[in-house]
Amino acid sequence: MILEILSIGLIVSACLALFLDEAVYSVAALAGTFLFTALIYAVDGAIFVAIFQFAVGVGTLTILFLSGELLSEKSVRKTSPNKTLALIAGGVVLSLPALFLSISGSTSAGVNITFGNGLWNLNGMDAVLQGLVILTVALGIVIVLYEKRSGGK
Amino acid sequence: MDFVILSLAILAIGIYGLLTNRNLLKAFISIELIAIAATLNFVTLSSAAGVGLGQAFLVLAFSTDTAVSAVILALLVIVSRKYGTGDLRQILKMESKEESEEAETDGDD
Repeated sequence: MILEILSIGLIVSACLALFLDEAVYSVAALAGTFLFTALIYAVDGAIFVAIFQFAVGVGTLTILFLSGELLSEKSVRKTSPNKTLALIAGGVVLSLPALFLSISGSTSAGVNITFGNGLWNLNGMDAVLQGLVILTVALGIVIVLYEKRSGGK
Repeated sequence: MDFVILSLAILAIGIYGLLTNRNLLKAFISIELIAIAATLNFVTLSSAAGVGLGQAFLVLAFSTDTAVSAVILALLVIVSRKYGTGDLRQILKMESKEESEEAETDGDD
């Protein structure tokens, strides 16, 4: 039950951090996101990671609060309460699939392998990371070639 | 309760924000959300598999993420101070205007 509440809070605070108009409120919502993430880690048994996340989050947020005013527009409009409520409702709706669906159970291979076990014990993580590296390299090459082509014209 | 779907949801929110927001601060927040989505998988999947290595990876990922965040934030502040705005479209407009003015002065010379 605690994990479900924390998950809903995480998604809602992420939505608020992105879509609130005022920079200070946005950074405050990001602080909530960091806090909920640290609490999820702690509940999941990763205490050291939770402490680390909390420490890193505090440092990042301090800098963000300081630079938030500089990076934001001065004449920004206020967020209406209706929009805030809609954002919270949207966040709750977005967190529903994580609460009720599951893709981490047994795979369709028939053997008794879970998603996490497949990633960690059957070198699935290697395959995923190699795929990501190759994809990133391919994207980088495409962007460099495109820049060269458009710069040469 | 499935943490993979939870991290996918956060990843989707971050990518959507990165693609739609024009503000530099919001772009930075989107990048932070994408990083949170990535690191959430490390802890939950390694905990599910009973492997503590994921947490060690996560500390490394946090350090890298913090360094990247510091560099991004420094760049954002420099760009914001140079152009006087945090709006990405306005910055691009000013940049293209500067480039065209430079090209005109080069043509005059």
